[in-house]
Amino acid sequence: MKAPPFGYRRVDSAAEAVAALAELGSEARVLAGGQSLLPMLAIRLASPSHLVDIGRAGDLSSASADNGSFVVGASARQWVVEHEPAATAAAPLLVDAIGRAGQVPIRHRGTVVGSIAHADPSAEIPTAFLAQGGTAVAQDTSGTRTIPAEEFFQGPYMTALRDGELLREVRLDRWPDGTGHAFEEFSHSHESWPVVTAAALVHLDQGVIDRAAIAISGVGGTPVRGTEAEASLIGQAPDPDALGAAAEAATADLQPFSDVFGSGTYRRKVATVLVRRAMSTAVARAGGAT
Amino acid sequence: MTVPAVREHTAEKNWIGKSIPRLEDRKFLLGRGGYIDDIVVPNMLEVALVRSIYAHARIVSIDTADAAAVDGVVAVITGAQAAELTDPLPDFGPDPANHPWRCLAVDKVRYAGEGVVAIAAESRAIAEDAAELVVIEYEPLEPLVDPLAALEQGAPLVHETLGTNVAFHREFTFGDVDADFEAADRVITDTLHWGRSGGQPIETVGAIADYDHATGMMSIHANSLSFTSYLFMLAGTLKVPSNKLDMHPVPAGGSFGSKLWEVKTPTIAGMLSKATGRPVKYVQDRMENISNGDHHGSDRRYDVQLAVMNDGTLRSIKIKTVEDYGAYIQFGVGHHGNALAQVTGPYKISSVFYDVTAVLTNKCQQGAYRGFGSEVGNWVIERMVDRAADELGRDPADLRRQNFIGPEEFPYFIPTGNVYDSGNYGGVLDTALELADYAGWRERQEAARAEGRHIGIGICTCQERSVFSATEFWFWFDEPAAPVSSMPESVTLDIDALGNVTATLYSCAMWGNSPETMVAQLVAEEFDLDPQTVNVVYASSNQGLPATGPGGSRFTVMVAGAIDGASGKIKSKAANIAAHLLEANVEDLAWVNGGFEVVGTPTARKELAEIAIQAHLFKHSLPDEIESGLEASHVYDHPYTTMPNDDRTDLGVFYPFMGHASHIAVVEVDPETGKVEFLDYTAVHDCGTMVNPRSLSGHIVGGTAQGIGTSIFEEFVYDSDGALQTPSFAEYVIPTSMDVPSLKIGHQETPSPYTPHGIKGGGEAGRMMAPAAISSAIEDALREYGVRVRRLPATPERIVDWIDDQE
Amino acid sequence: MSTEQHHISLTVNDRVTDAEVEPRLSLADFLRRHLSLVGTHLGCEQGACGACTILVDGESVRSCLMLAVQADGSEVETVEGLASNGELHPIQEAFRQKQGLQCGFCTPGMLMRSLELIRDNPTITHEEAREGLASNLCRCTGYQYIVEAVVDAASEMR
Repeated sequence: MKAPPFGYRRVDSAAEAVAALAELGSEARVLAGGQSLLPMLAIRLASPSHLVDIGRAGDLSSASADNGSFVVGASARQWVVEHEPAATAAAPLLVDAIGRAGQVPIRHRGTVVGSIAHADPSAEIPTAFLAQGGTAVAQDTSGTRTIPAEEFFQGPYMTALRDGELLREVRLDRWPDGTGHAFEEFSHSHESWPVVTAAALVHLDQGVIDRAAIAISGVGGTPVRGTEAEASLIGQAPDPDALGAAAEAATADLQPFSDVFGSGTYRRKVATVLVRRAMSTAVARAGGAT
Repeated sequence: MTVPAVREHTAEKNWIGKSIPRLEDRKFLLGRGGYIDDIVVPNMLEVALVRSIYAHARIVSIDTADAAAVDGVVAVITGAQAAELTDPLPDFGPDPANHPWRCLAVDKVRYAGEGVVAIAAESRAIAEDAAELVVIEYEPLEPLVDPLAALEQGAPLVHETLGTNVAFHREFTFGDVDADFEAADRVITDTLHWGRSGGQPIETVGAIADYDHATGMMSIHANSLSFTSYLFMLAGTLKVPSNKLDMHPVPAGGSFGSKLWEVKTPTIAGMLSKATGRPVKYVQDRMENISNGDHHGSDRRYDVQLAVMNDGTLRSIKIKTVEDYGAYIQFGVGHHGNALAQVTGPYKISSVFYDVTAVLTNKCQQGAYRGFGSEVGNWVIERMVDRAADELGRDPADLRRQNFIGPEEFPYFIPTGNVYDSGNYGGVLDTALELADYAGWRERQEAARAEGRHIGIGICTCQERSVFSATEFWFWFDEPAAPVSSMPESVTLDIDALGNVTATLYSCAMWGNSPETMVAQLVAEEFDLDPQTVNVVYASSNQGLPATGPGGSRFTVMVAGAIDGASGKIKSKAANIAAHLLEANVEDLAWVNGGFEVVGTPTARKELAEIAIQAHLFKHSLPDEIESGLEASHVYDHPYTTMPNDDRTDLGVFYPFMGHASHIAVVEVDPETGKVEFLDYTAVHDCGTMVNPRSLSGHIVGGTAQGIGTSIFEEFVYDSDGALQTPSFAEYVIPTSMDVPSLKIGHQETPSPYTPHGIKGGGEAGRMMAPAAISSAIEDALREYGVRVRRLPATPERIVDWIDDQE
Repeated sequence: MSTEQHHISLTVNDRVTDAEVEPRLSLADFLRRHLSLVGTHLGCEQGACGACTILVDGESVRSCLMLAVQADGSEVETVEGLASNGELHPIQEAFRQKQGLQCGFCTPGMLMRSLELIRDNPTITHEEAREGLASNLCRCTGYQYIVEAVVDAASEMR
């Protein structure tokens, strides 16, 4: 399981990265943490002509609050973000998701943005990004553009990024103080691939839900938002019946894929359970009684 | 051969029974283990294979031109070319001429992942680059994935020359089954399905072959291949004279059976070395090992009937099993021999009907996996006993205890003809129940139920046979082609001029078991020396005495016998030398504390070192008839094997040293997701006299972890096209430290009357018991839903489905 | 392109090393083949098993999921750097005393990860050790005696 041959270019900035991508052509790929890309190369599922290594690009390594967002640069390692106090304050859902995303040695090298760009339909970090909301910032030699989170994931391992674009950072929307968050995952063993993950955010105003987000992965080609379920919760008291109904609503129309980790039917069942549990925990953290 | 004499075991032991740190460990801890892939030989080539993407297809054409042209590629060999260079692989199957097994597929591929082309290049990476350039035209054939469909008329044939997909079928009747079923009050019936998992050691299998054209010598380093007496078969495959194949064992990074007899990597490496004139290394990568490694575990469907009396007596059992062997059947149905060795468990069941059908399908073939088929038999009998307990309204522990063979009833012959040498099953169960705090857990279970939690407690009481005889490979046939009866183990002990000991082993003994430590402790016991000073080395097969290596939990018992024999020869010579030096009669000498002394005159004494130096250097100080030196070899044959009778209503004794264990698993099941978690786990084992209790306990924990994997996580999954859905460690789920509980371990020692020191084998411990205990616990947890665990692995999805099926 | 070589300079077990490597060469293969440091093992080459675990700039990584070129300028610690003058490091001695290994193949990865766990948490408990070790697969031991070894080593090293 040795990788096919490729060229290698290490860059020190986003500008250098996009220049290299433009120069090397569409078969060149960005290497950040490599924890998703290198396993693919080992089984020759991908055969890039070049890898452009942004792992040490200084202008891409930040993870910090910026006005109403929490911003994570492309080379910021998962482990660093996970332990960044500003992340716990501004994006605790992301922190929880990272904590479930692969073993510790993987998180030492893997990047938050890399996981989002990789767009594995079952992965954890994309779910948190989708629930929290925000934008993906893409850069190429002609400049930058923003892509809303809900438009970013387009299919299994497919995103809205174009050839030559670097996903330079993601900006997660900050939720109001008092928001409760929860991240649930079902996997077979403690460390095996996620079957289904569910992320929930809930904000209460005088005991009633005034904002909610539900996102689920492992149930389709991309992670999904339960927008109708979310809408149904607005104005409701967060009692178990309401949360249960929302969980059902969030998964009712799903037709998840089947694979060796779980059939579509099972994935939908587990997704419903995880959404319910995530909502329940999020509500409790938001100060609501359940 | 008759029943061996009952041995007297010394009560006082200095080294046997001590949990000394292992001799093996230092080199592994330093990262200098010397595993096969660590070895780099000058001018070495490395191999990658092109493997089939189809489960079943005719090979129409292979174009290797582009691959051969890659810079750094030295040889590209197709299956057809390999069939010129090599003969079929050694095969202990029922009809090898008609289900021939070769190192590379020739006319057709029979499973996804089967090797088709082998490439030798300057590096593994280059070989893989070239592999991508090989163009193969296939004509896909209908894949055969369902073993029951394989039985039907008109099913595609895996081997046309065999004319059927049934490689073997036979019915056995042991005892008066009909009468027992007639007399029974009720018959417990069930269908069961044990899915295939596999050893999956963290190190794969591999070999480095070096063919010397000048001498015709084929020298192979490998992390597999004991059974040294059978290596002539591999020499035949490689087309070298039998006395020109030299196998050098290297430590194996785990085996669990998969490196017992792995012939494909040495064959491919050897073939390429001969073809290229250079040393060749072929180490399977993980995906090759999973799909093309020839060592999947048992894969069985069962229809079982257990005849019981209303008072709880278990009378008779009828077992009908269809086993999916995959595309080849290298070990025949030996796995069922293992099952028949202990098919009635620890119970006094008087008759057995056993109907076995071995089916071929388009999957990787089976090999050996910890238990070698007996662990499945354990699961089956325990599932039936649990069901009987349910139907009779009996406590599962009580029902088992009632039917145990009593401690005074040994040696006990079971209906198949095998013997259980000794045991005390009630003692083990009592210890397990107490250690587990069984009563306490029943209380906690009640309280948890009130809170809506689903806690389950499962008990099993299972046999662990050790030290197989050769007969189990051929007693399937009334007229076997080769009714072999040798399964020896050998050792050479050499006392040097300073009295230091070197022990030479002759098999690929080191798999993660503790052969060096076992040998050192046994030698230390014999010679009253510090085991850490014993040097254990491994000889290549050419230097060799016959050996069989680990497997069937045999190694410690067999090497103990060899050491017993060699020590006896050395002590006999040493006594004669000492008598000569002391001017005493040899009959007046006794071995005391590391030397020979005149009984009653402790000052008239010679230490081993004093005797040794005389033996090595001072011929003229020795009696005339004694040669220089102080070493001895001993070939220890299986001490208790008897032949089957003509009609196979009695298979003879073939697995006599019978260990026993009880496991008690406490689980919590989440009925919404099917997730199973362990709250507590107790394992009490009786493997006779223990040499190194800590080492045995380590195998119990490790074996239980694999048993957990088999029970709830692990399966090789083939889809309906025969594609392998679990080709890597990403899909094949191996338990982590958070998936395996901390075990409470207890030991009981009921010595064997027939083995040195009363030792019984225990290396397969844990995996042979855990699935029964865990299945039972899951059922107990989900009792309110009426779930029955009939299928392993009991994955979360299956558990949820079983609950839904009941609602 | 495919014959491109890159110069790397890194410190391995306190020794500065310079080399020319192909981009696709993994750090694991660089250690094993170029430096003959064969203690770091390959079990799956996909990052699942952890047999290849080493420390890079003080953090545990899967050396099969790093390219040698990515390790340029880094400080690498492998199992070969643990013992000094033939004397086992306390973590190695603890594994030996507790029989925290059987076949030894996962052991170097376990040792390096254990070293990290203890450095980060000198008073590590059994539960914490068991959780921390979930990153590394062992097929032989069932983990129990490895957990005991880690706790023992931590106490020795305090």
